Amino acid sequence: MTNHWIDLRNADCIMVIGSNAAENHPISFRWVTAAKERGAKLVSVDPRFTRTSSKADLYAPIRSGTDITFIGGLIRYILNDMQSLTPAERAKKYNLTYATQYTNAALIVNDGFEGWNDSRHPGLFVGFSGNSGAAPGKLGAYDKSNWNYANTTNPNVDTALVNNTWTDWTDLNPNCVLRLLWENYKDLTPDMVEDVTGCPQDTFLQVCQTYAATGAPGKAGTIMYAMGTTQHTYGTQNIRGYAIMQLLLGNIGVAGGGINALRGTSNVQGSTDMCLLSHILPGYLAVVDHTDQTFDDYIARNRASKLPVNPSGLAGDKSASWWWLSDEAQNYKKYLVSLLKAWWMDHATAGNGFCFDYLPKVTKGHDYTHIGTFEAMAQGVIKGMMVWGQNPAVGGPDSQGERHAMDNLEWLMVADLFETETAAFWKRPDPESADPTKRVDSSQINTEVFLLPAACSYEKQGSISNSGRWAQWRYKAITPIGQAKADLAIMDELMLKVKEKYAGETGPLADPINKLHWDYYTSGDYANEADPNAVAFEIHGYYVADKSPVKNFVSLATDGSTCCGNWLYSGMFTTDGRNRAKDRDPVDASLNQIGLYSNWSWCWPINRRIIYNRASVDFDGQPWDSEHPVIQYNGGWAGDVPDGGWAPINLAAAGEKYLPFIMQPEGVAHIWGPGRAEGPFPVVYEPWESPLDKNLVTGVANSDPTGKGTPGFNNPCCYVGNLEGWNKRGTPSQFPYVGMTYRVSEHWQAGQMTRNHPWLNELQPEVFAELGPELAAEKGIRNGDKIRVATARGYVLGVAIVTKRFRRMTIGGKSVDHIGVPWHWGFTGRSSAFHSSGNILTPHVGDANTTIPEYKTFLCNIEKA
Amino acid sequence: MADKAILYDATKCTACRGCQVACKEWNDLPGELTTNRGTYENPPDLSANTWIKIRFTEVETTGDIRWLFTRRACMHCTDAACVEVCPTKALYHHEMGFVAYRRDLCSGCGYCVEACPFAVPKSGGNNLTGIRVANKCLFCEDRITNGEIPACVKTCPTGALVFGDRDDLVAEGRARVQSLKAEYPNAYLYGDTELGGLHVLYVLDDLPEVYGLPTNPKVPVAATAWQDVLQPIGWGLAGIAVVGLGLNYLIARRKVKVGSEEH
Amino acid sequence: METIEAAEQKPKSTPFLHSLFGAPPTPGEPVVQRYSRTVRVLHWVNAVAWVVLIVTGLFLFVPQFGDAAVGGLSRLFHRIGAVVMVGWALIYVVGDPRSTWAGIKDAFKWGKCDLGWLVAAIPYYFFGKEESTIRIRGFSRTIEMPPQHHMNTGQKLWWLFVLGGGALMIITGALMWFFKDLISPGAFMWSAFFHDIGFIILLVFAFVHVYLSVFHPKMRGIFWSMWGGTISAEYASSHHKKWYDDVTEKEGSEPTKDE
Repeated sequence: MTNHWIDLRNADCIMVIGSNAAENHPISFRWVTAAKERGAKLVSVDPRFTRTSSKADLYAPIRSGTDITFIGGLIRYILNDMQSLTPAERAKKYNLTYATQYTNAALIVNDGFEGWNDSRHPGLFVGFSGNSGAAPGKLGAYDKSNWNYANTTNPNVDTALVNNTWTDWTDLNPNCVLRLLWENYKDLTPDMVEDVTGCPQDTFLQVCQTYAATGAPGKAGTIMYAMGTTQHTYGTQNIRGYAIMQLLLGNIGVAGGGINALRGTSNVQGSTDMCLLSHILPGYLAVVDHTDQTFDDYIARNRASKLPVNPSGLAGDKSASWWWLSDEAQNYKKYLVSLLKAWWMDHATAGNGFCFDYLPKVTKGHDYTHIGTFEAMAQGVIKGMMVWGQNPAVGGPDSQGERHAMDNLEWLMVADLFETETAAFWKRPDPESADPTKRVDSSQINTEVFLLPAACSYEKQGSISNSGRWAQWRYKAITPIGQAKADLAIMDELMLKVKEKYAGETGPLADPINKLHWDYYTSGDYANEADPNAVAFEIHGYYVADKSPVKNFVSLATDGSTCCGNWLYSGMFTTDGRNRAKDRDPVDASLNQIGLYSNWSWCWPINRRIIYNRASVDFDGQPWDSEHPVIQYNGGWAGDVPDGGWAPINLAAAGEKYLPFIMQPEGVAHIWGPGRAEGPFPVVYEPWESPLDKNLVTGVANSDPTGKGTPGFNNPCCYVGNLEGWNKRGTPSQFPYVGMTYRVSEHWQAGQMTRNHPWLNELQPEVFAELGPELAAEKGIRNGDKIRVATARGYVLGVAIVTKRFRRMTIGGKSVDHIGVPWHWGFTGRSSAFHSSGNILTPHVGDANTTIPEYKTFLCNIEKA
Repeated sequence: MADKAILYDATKCTACRGCQVACKEWNDLPGELTTNRGTYENPPDLSANTWIKIRFTEVETTGDIRWLFTRRACMHCTDAACVEVCPTKALYHHEMGFVAYRRDLCSGCGYCVEACPFAVPKSGGNNLTGIRVANKCLFCEDRITNGEIPACVKTCPTGALVFGDRDDLVAEGRARVQSLKAEYPNAYLYGDTELGGLHVLYVLDDLPEVYGLPTNPKVPVAATAWQDVLQPIGWGLAGIAVVGLGLNYLIARRKVKVGSEEH
Repeated sequence: METIEAAEQKPKSTPFLHSLFGAPPTPGEPVVQRYSRTVRVLHWVNAVAWVVLIVTGLFLFVPQFGDAAVGGLSRLFHRIGAVVMVGWALIYVVGDPRSTWAGIKDAFKWGKCDLGWLVAAIPYYFFGKEESTIRIRGFSRTIEMPPQHHMNTGQKLWWLFVLGGGALMIITGALMWFFKDLISPGAFMWSAFFHDIGFIILLVFAFVHVYLSVFHPKMRGIFWSMWGGTISAEYASSHHKKWYDDVTEKEGSEPTKDE
């Protein structure tokens, strides 16, 4: 979240899209309800009418996977509205200072750039090189050399736009970002939106009017999104769509605004911060790839992409580009060196590149995400797996295929509270059998499985970082039951054992392990068990010489005098050693009590509760919204920790007028975002399995419905897995209905913790599939009937919920029905009556940028079982 | 002591059902083995082991679907049928106004189960042998008499449940309904006057019947007739019989004796 | 079956019991067999069940006795009592349908002597007069208890109450016990209401029954007929003349069936 949970109450309009917050983030509705009581409007955009929709002022149904069309249509509405107004009205209705000077809307792009609606390459931007040059698994790739500003170091701006003197699009430079954006979405008329998404035009227009109203200075609209947004082959671009809309409306950095990723578990934020992802090191530093032969190679590569780019023609004349402010303030390097020091301490010296060579290196372009890992497992590349707090046999896409891939493992370690489906994959239901109680022949599976009993969250202490980036310390309530141990204790024991095995050896494999700094024992309970407090202290960072805490990441150095496990968390401790994650001051001392509660726990970076908050004030440092001021300048900054302590633009000296988005090389936010794999703007693509035979927006036909995908119909850069043949693709003729998976309030993720709980099980005891009355009538399915939902990859048994909350849509003149299956259930523990898991249905395909699996849209069929 | 109440605002309820679980946790009630019956709603009804549940209702008006959620638990009536029928005074009005319940006094007669106009109390135990006790929401008497708020209220994330003095909550409920009326003309504060005033108040954005609540709940005549009518009649008839027979004995004995002497 | 015999096997009794229940026929006194063993067992089992039902019913019906019902044991005994009473009667009905039918028929067979009984009942029972004379303005009429069959009219009435009331109790009881979930709460409450009415009526008439068969001065000693099965010939001829005449005239043949 750019903002935080409590801040939702400051919104004037809340759009919940790609999320079912009321059900999956129930506590968030405390603040949504508070906002509604203030008069805020709640908009729910969802293929199905959910418990969130039940509380919404406006419910907009859309076909699963058509967010870009919906948001693109909204962006078009906003742009057309801006254009049609007189400059004076425009300035009243929209925060133009923000839209044109805090974003790259006015910057001029390279002449060579061509949009997707260029008839020479329909549906594709300039530079598509097809499958040649694409990384393994990717449908295609781009040569992005033309996706850049015309002037790469000092991009020019369109002065008519910045000065608000334009009346028609032709008044703007044809390569100005805002005009390119309009070109990108001009076809998404309300007619088109209805045709593609199924959302009735009048509903769509009501949403447009309601949400666009948050563009006025002093108004805030917020987006709550979750996996309904991200889990698509174009999930990243879905979020880009929200970001662009929010930037046009001046909604980022302000109280009650932002785009807020509602994390799927209590500590997902913390896990990504700490790099439980394959493409980063802790603190979002780039992972080392095979082209980084030396420490200097790596630094040079990243310096190049982080150098400040100073736009010319904006009120602000300086970009901070915090990562690499200047060659004197090379923060990126400080963070990496301090990280290497934390890991190899005394062995890491300037002379040996701070043990840079000990870092594992990835092969550039190779996919190391969940999907890529299971592809490699299916190919027999991966021989062993440790599964910690995960249950991929239920949670993974195409889970029959993934379970099958696990047959290739020589060993498998699972640390969990219960025997999960993953730990029991060798006695899974036989996918070939119509009888789900028939199990596979486990005599043919040679994997050795180790099931380690893990402590649950109440049995250990440590921090969790919530969606609002608040790191909150939690204490142990009870001692772990039986032989269960905290994850940290398990990891510690394991690492010490590995060290023992390598003891006495030298060489590139043994050295990183033997020399690893591993010292987390303290005293008391932690005399012989790793102390989470010691880990936290290392994450915060300290001076190597005397082990005294650094102040925060500003204190980190490139010379190896500091160590820091994660620069983002540097600042969590005070200089006298108090862990601020343990702070519990319930007093809200923020300006106008906007709910920052800055002394309750601690949040990164340096306790900034709303990031990009310099965008919440004008050039004089005064808040756009005086009712909800995040920060304010009165000779000094008051309120939240400002995003850089420099004086406001109007009050700063020339050469020090810093633009608000300090992490971006340009200092302004990205409406134009060339960093994404499939284009600088989101384009309407169809899901990998689409009920349509032609992309209604790009006009590209689904020319190869059984192949890997059609660039321009589908996302041209998405990841298409194979799983040794298990990832089959269904066609609309065999599988005419749009399927989707989701969660319910009553169960947690892959379900082990809740399915084994009688109180929760009582509430949602069985796998079910929801469908609308029209489809049910055609199929002769009555409410409560036992049904079978099938895709090209497998089938699920469950109970039918026939409900008017699912409605038939007309898409491109064709009737489209949705079927929804929650994915919590499996074949072990309680409530496994149907032995079915929703993810048996989902395909092994992923997003072009993150390879997050496509869980939300696929083709399926349904029949009475 | 001032009457206490719970205010349930259906417009704020997201049916997360944290209240259902919190109730079971605090009262140490076992989970029920349920099945999916084509709805999210479960268990099917209140029971001896389920004292609160959220009812899910889908309503379609002019093409727009609405998904309504209603709290089902003891309403803690002022004119409480269960209190009237309870032969052992296991059910009684607490000085804070709610209907308190002493399970150890329950004889298992089940009259409250049948008499309640909201069908709230449920018998648990063996119906065949009749060894059973009724169960229902206790208003967390143990918590509220120790300065805590009821478990369901405590856990409610959205503020749909509020606990406090009944007078305050009636005022709050009326104000809330007033503000809802602009958009929802049928908005209604249920429990303000029903059955002498309920100690669970409902803010509704529609008529009570839309939410499945009885429009004009009453203590059933049959529930009270046996105590109000039959009890006195029974005592009367039994008394007359005993007195009459006694009198007869005295008279008849004398006559029989006299008769035998005459012989 | 011998209907007149010497009372060789006098019920074992003590003076205390005699003072309580009246004296049984004296040894050697001519007696008439009135109730067969089957009937007597039926009666006493039912009597015990009846008492259990009344006592547990009182616990459940009368709030003042409610404490006694706590724990639910009274409900269990109430149910056991009901099962025994109904079950035992059913066994009898199934085991000897002819006698049952005859007995029921007797209760519904009303004649002139029954009208006479109704007229004479009050002076006879209440004032203990064998005969009385009513005189109104010169009109005078002597009322006399006419001779009765095996069952006199009062016994027929009692029997009718038992049949009708029993049916009411069985139906309403079964509704509340077995069909609770099928009937509406209202129907349940009304079942309870009529169960209660039946209870009150049967309770009152149970008092009358016990009073007449144990305490009433004119019928002292009749109690023992339900114990030993016989009554003195003298009692039989004075209280059930028609029946007595029948059995003595048709001695050796099948007598009027008991009951």
